[in-house]
Amino acid sequence: MCGCSPSLPTTYEEASWQSVITPDNFGATLPPNIAPLNFRIQQGDASEAVTRLHTGKGGEVVIGGWDVCVDEDDWHKLLEQSRGDTLFCDIYLKSDDRWKHLPTQHFLIASEPIDPYITYRLIRPSYVTYEELTINERCLENFDERVVYENMRFEDSEQGQCINCHLPRNWNQQQQSQFHVRQAFGGTVFINGDQVTKVNLKTDSTLSAGVYPAWHPTQNLIAYSVNETGQVFHTLDPQKVEVIDYASDLILYNVETKTVQHIERTASEFESFPTWSPDGSTLYYISAHYTPRAADIDADLDSNYDQLHYNIYARDFDLQTCRFGPRRLVFDAEALGKSASVPRVSPDGKYLLFTLADYGQFHIWHKSADLWVLPLETEGQASQPSTTPEASAYPQTSAIALQAVNSPESESYHAWSSNGRWILYSSRRDDGNYTRLYISYFDSNGQPHKPFRLPQRSLDNDDLLLRSYNAAEFLLQPVQPSQRQLRKAIQADAQPSAYTGSALAQPEADSIPMSALQPTSERRSTAVAY
Amino acid sequence: MKLRLPFTLVFVAFALYLLLGPLQPYLRETGALTPFYLTGVSLGELLGHPSGLLLYVASGLQSCFALPWLGACLFTVILVALAYAQKWAFRVSDHWFGLCWVVPFLLFAHYTRMGYLIYTSKAVAPAYVPVLVVLLGVLLLGCLRVGVSRWWKGWKSSRATGSKRMVLLVVNVLLFVGSAIAAYSYSFRDPNFLNTLRMKHAAEEGAWEQVLQLAREGKEEPTRAQVCLTRLALFKTGRMGDELFTYPEGSAQYNAPQNQWLRLMIGPLLYYHYGKTGFAYRWAMEDMVEYGERPAYLRYLYSVARLNGEEALTKRYERTLARTLFYKCAREKEDQEAAAIKPLLNYTDQLDGDDGLVEFYLLNSFALSEGGSREMVELSLMNGLITKNLTGFWPRFLALLPTWQGRIPTHYQEAALMVAQLQGGAPVADLPIDTVIQQRFQQLIAASARMGDNAANAVALRPEFGNTYWYYYFFVEGLKTN
Repeated sequence: MCGCSPSLPTTYEEASWQSVITPDNFGATLPPNIAPLNFRIQQGDASEAVTRLHTGKGGEVVIGGWDVCVDEDDWHKLLEQSRGDTLFCDIYLKSDDRWKHLPTQHFLIASEPIDPYITYRLIRPSYVTYEELTINERCLENFDERVVYENMRFEDSEQGQCINCHLPRNWNQQQQSQFHVRQAFGGTVFINGDQVTKVNLKTDSTLSAGVYPAWHPTQNLIAYSVNETGQVFHTLDPQKVEVIDYASDLILYNVETKTVQHIERTASEFESFPTWSPDGSTLYYISAHYTPRAADIDADLDSNYDQLHYNIYARDFDLQTCRFGPRRLVFDAEALGKSASVPRVSPDGKYLLFTLADYGQFHIWHKSADLWVLPLETEGQASQPSTTPEASAYPQTSAIALQAVNSPESESYHAWSSNGRWILYSSRRDDGNYTRLYISYFDSNGQPHKPFRLPQRSLDNDDLLLRSYNAAEFLLQPVQPSQRQLRKAIQADAQPSAYTGSALAQPEADSIPMSALQPTSERRSTAVAY
Repeated sequence: MKLRLPFTLVFVAFALYLLLGPLQPYLRETGALTPFYLTGVSLGELLGHPSGLLLYVASGLQSCFALPWLGACLFTVILVALAYAQKWAFRVSDHWFGLCWVVPFLLFAHYTRMGYLIYTSKAVAPAYVPVLVVLLGVLLLGCLRVGVSRWWKGWKSSRATGSKRMVLLVVNVLLFVGSAIAAYSYSFRDPNFLNTLRMKHAAEEGAWEQVLQLAREGKEEPTRAQVCLTRLALFKTGRMGDELFTYPEGSAQYNAPQNQWLRLMIGPLLYYHYGKTGFAYRWAMEDMVEYGERPAYLRYLYSVARLNGEEALTKRYERTLARTLFYKCAREKEDQEAAAIKPLLNYTDQLDGDDGLVEFYLLNSFALSEGGSREMVELSLMNGLITKNLTGFWPRFLALLPTWQGRIPTHYQEAALMVAQLQGGAPVADLPIDTVIQQRFQQLIAASARMGDNAANAVALRPEFGNTYWYYYFFVEGLKTN
C-alpha cells in the first residue's frame, strides 16, 4: 500500500550506505512528461521510512512508507520544475528510534519529451502454444493502458489465433499501422484512421506471408521479411529456445495496389528485419550467408545454429522508380565473430541501432545480446580507431556497445522515439526469462544514459505478471479503431495480394534454386514471441 | 418419519468415503491444477470481471483439495448446504426431502467424473463453480420467496398418513439411493488413473519405495505413465539393473479421449528427474500458457530455474508460489532432489524436439548417448536394453563393471549372456555371472527349442522366465508409447 504524507524527521544522522529500491531507477534520465516512477524501498532493519522528492526550485513531495507512489499531478509538477535539471530524492529510515538520512539520490530530467504512447504485445515466453494474447496500448504520461486487440474471441480447441508485429507508420502520426493475425482468420490487418482492412500477403512466389514489417516513411510501401521460422529447444542450456530461420527473403508490399514484389530471394542468403532510413532512400536489413552441409537443411541448421552469423546490409531505394540498387555491406558482424539483428535508424539518420549477440537473429533468447550503435556517417569509411573502452574489444569497427543500457542478460527489440532522444527496448535483465521494457535517453552527442523501467502504478505488477512485453513501439497518438471494429474486419475474408516480380533495378539471378524444405512437426512460423 | 438426519448422514458418509478413499489422489491433483493466489488481486479487479468474485472464491475452495481432508469436508458441507437451501427456498417438506439431494449428488458426480479431463479442462474451478452458482441461485429464490411470500405458496406440507406416508417414504428413499448410485457409478474411479496419481504424488515427495509398492499392487495392465514412473523409481533407488523387468509391463489405453496424457500428467516430472531440464521447463511453460498458472507447472518452472542456477528467476517463482495456500517451496527438499539430478546434467547441450512423446524421447536419448557420469552410462545401458538396441551394450557394460564392485546387477548379467550368445564380442566366461543365472539361461534355450514358435513360447515360458530380460527381449513386443 502506498504511503500517505507524513512530516520529515527534524533530527537525523547521515548514513553512508545507499538505499536499495526496486526498480532501481536512481540516476536515470527521465522525460519531462513521464508517469510517476513509483518504487519500493527495501526495509532491512528499519521500522519506518519517509521519502522526500524535491527540485531546485522549491517543489517538494513527501511520502511515508516503503512504497513510494507519487500522485500523478504532484509528480508532473515536480518534473516540470526540474525540466532540463535534476530531481532529488532523499530517503530517511528509522531504526532503534533514530532516523538516518541516506545519501541523496537524483533523477536527471531531460528537456525533450517522450512520445506519449507505446504499443506492445503481452505474451508468455512460451514456445509453441499461445493463449490470451493481447496487443496493448499504454500512455507513458500516466498509467492508462488499454487492449487494442485480444485473441480470445476466436480461440478454439482446434486452432488458436496468434497476433503479432503491431507496427505503426511514422509513430502513428498518420494513423496508419498494421499487425498480423495467424491461423484463425489469418491475414495482415491494416489500420488507416478508423478504417480496417485485412490482406493476405502470401503469394505462390514467396516463402510466406509478410513477417517483420518496415513501413516506408513517405510512401505507402512496406518492406517485409518472409520467413520459414521454427523453434527448437535446448535440452540443458538456460537460454531454453533457439528460433531459427530455415529460409528467409525480403519483399516489398504496395499498400494501395496490394501487390508484392521480391527484394531478396536467394536460397543461400537469409535476409530479415528490414528497416528504412528516415528519408526512405535506403533499406537496411540483416542477412546471413548459408552453405548447406547436408541435404537435410533443418537438421543441419539445428546442429550448427551457432554458426549462423548475420551482417547488416543496405540497398539504396529510388523513390521515383521504387526500385532497389545492389546491396552493400554496412556492418560486418561475422568478422567480429558476432551476429547482428533488428537494425533501426535514428530519426535524424545519424545512428544505426542494432542488437549484437554471438550468433543467430532472434536475440531475445540470447543472453549475449546487447544493444550497439553504429554512426552512419562512418558507413563505408575505413574503421575509425576506437577510444571507448566498450568498443576496444573490437577495434576494427566504429560501432559502439551501449554499456549504460546493456546488462548480462539479453537486450533486444528496440525502437527510437520520434525525436530520436529516447530508446525503448526489451530487456530480460530482471530474471533472464521475462521481458520487461526499459527506456533510455540518447543524447545529442550519441551517448546513452542509464535506463529506467516502464513505470507501473502497482509496484507488484512486474513481479506478478508472468508474461513478457514484446515488440514495443512508440506512438504519437493512440490507435483509433475499437476492438469491435478490428474483430469485424478480422472476421471478414482477407483480400488477396498479387505477386508482380522483382523490385530490383537490376534483377539478380537466384544463386541456388529454392529447395523444398523438409518439414518438421516442431516447426511453426507463427508463435514466435520476440 | 423424519429423513433429514439420515439423509444428511448417509450423504456425508458417502461423499467422504469416496473423496477420502479411492478419489483422494484425484483431489490432491485437482488442488495442484487450480490456480489460486491470495495476494496480487484486488477486490476492484474481481468485481470488474464478470463473475470475478465467484470464480475467485470457487478457485480458493478448490485449491483446498491440496489437503484432501480439508477439501473433502468443505465440498461435502457445501453440497449439504445446497440440499438444505433447496428445502428452505422451496419450502420442501420432510416427506420430499429426498428430492433435495438429487442435485447435490449430480454436482458431486459432475466433478468426480472428470478424471483425466481435469488436466485439459479450461473451466475455472469446475468442482465448485456449478455448486456455488446453483447454491446462490437457490438462495436468491429463497429470499425472493420470503420477500414476496404472499405470492409464493411453496410446497404445502401435508400430513400424509398411512399408506400414502409409506409411499412417500419409499419414493424419497428411492430418489436418494438412486442419486447416490448414479453419483457413485459416474465417479471416475479408473484404477490406472488413480494409481498413476498415487505414484506421481509419491514421486513428487521423493518416496520412491512407495512408487514401487504401488506399481506392484496394480492389478490392471499398466499404462505407459505407470511404467515410466516405475522405471524412474527403480533408477532412483539403484535397483534398475536388478528389478526393472520384474515389474508389470504394458501399454494399457488411457480411459480418456486421445491426448498426450503421459506428457500432461508426468512429462515435466520425468524430464526433470532425468536431467532434461530444458524440456521439463518447456512443457511446464507450454501447459501454463494453455491451462493457466497452475501450481503443478510453476513447481517445475521453479525447480528447473533453481537447478540451472537462475537465482532471480528462482526467486520470482518462489514468490509466486508463496502466494498460494499450499504450494510454498521447500528448499531442503529441492536440494536433495537437485543433488540426485546433477550427475545427469553432464552432457552436451543440444537443440532438439520431442513432439510431446516423452517416453520415446527419453528412451532414444539415453539409448543413443555416449559417455557421461556413471548414472548416465547406466541409463544408456538400460535404455539400450529396453529399446533392444544392443549396439552399445559391451562398451557401456565394461565401463560400468568396476563400479558394481564384484556383483553385476541381475538383468545386466542376463543381457551379457544373451548378447554373447547372439553376437559374441566379449569373454563372458571371465565375467562374474551367477551360476544360477547361467543355468537359467540354458534352461530357457532348451525350453524355447522344445516349443517351436514364438507365440507358444511367449505363453509357455512366461511363468518361469517372465521376470527376466530374456523374456522381455524375445517376447514382449508391440508396446505403444505416447
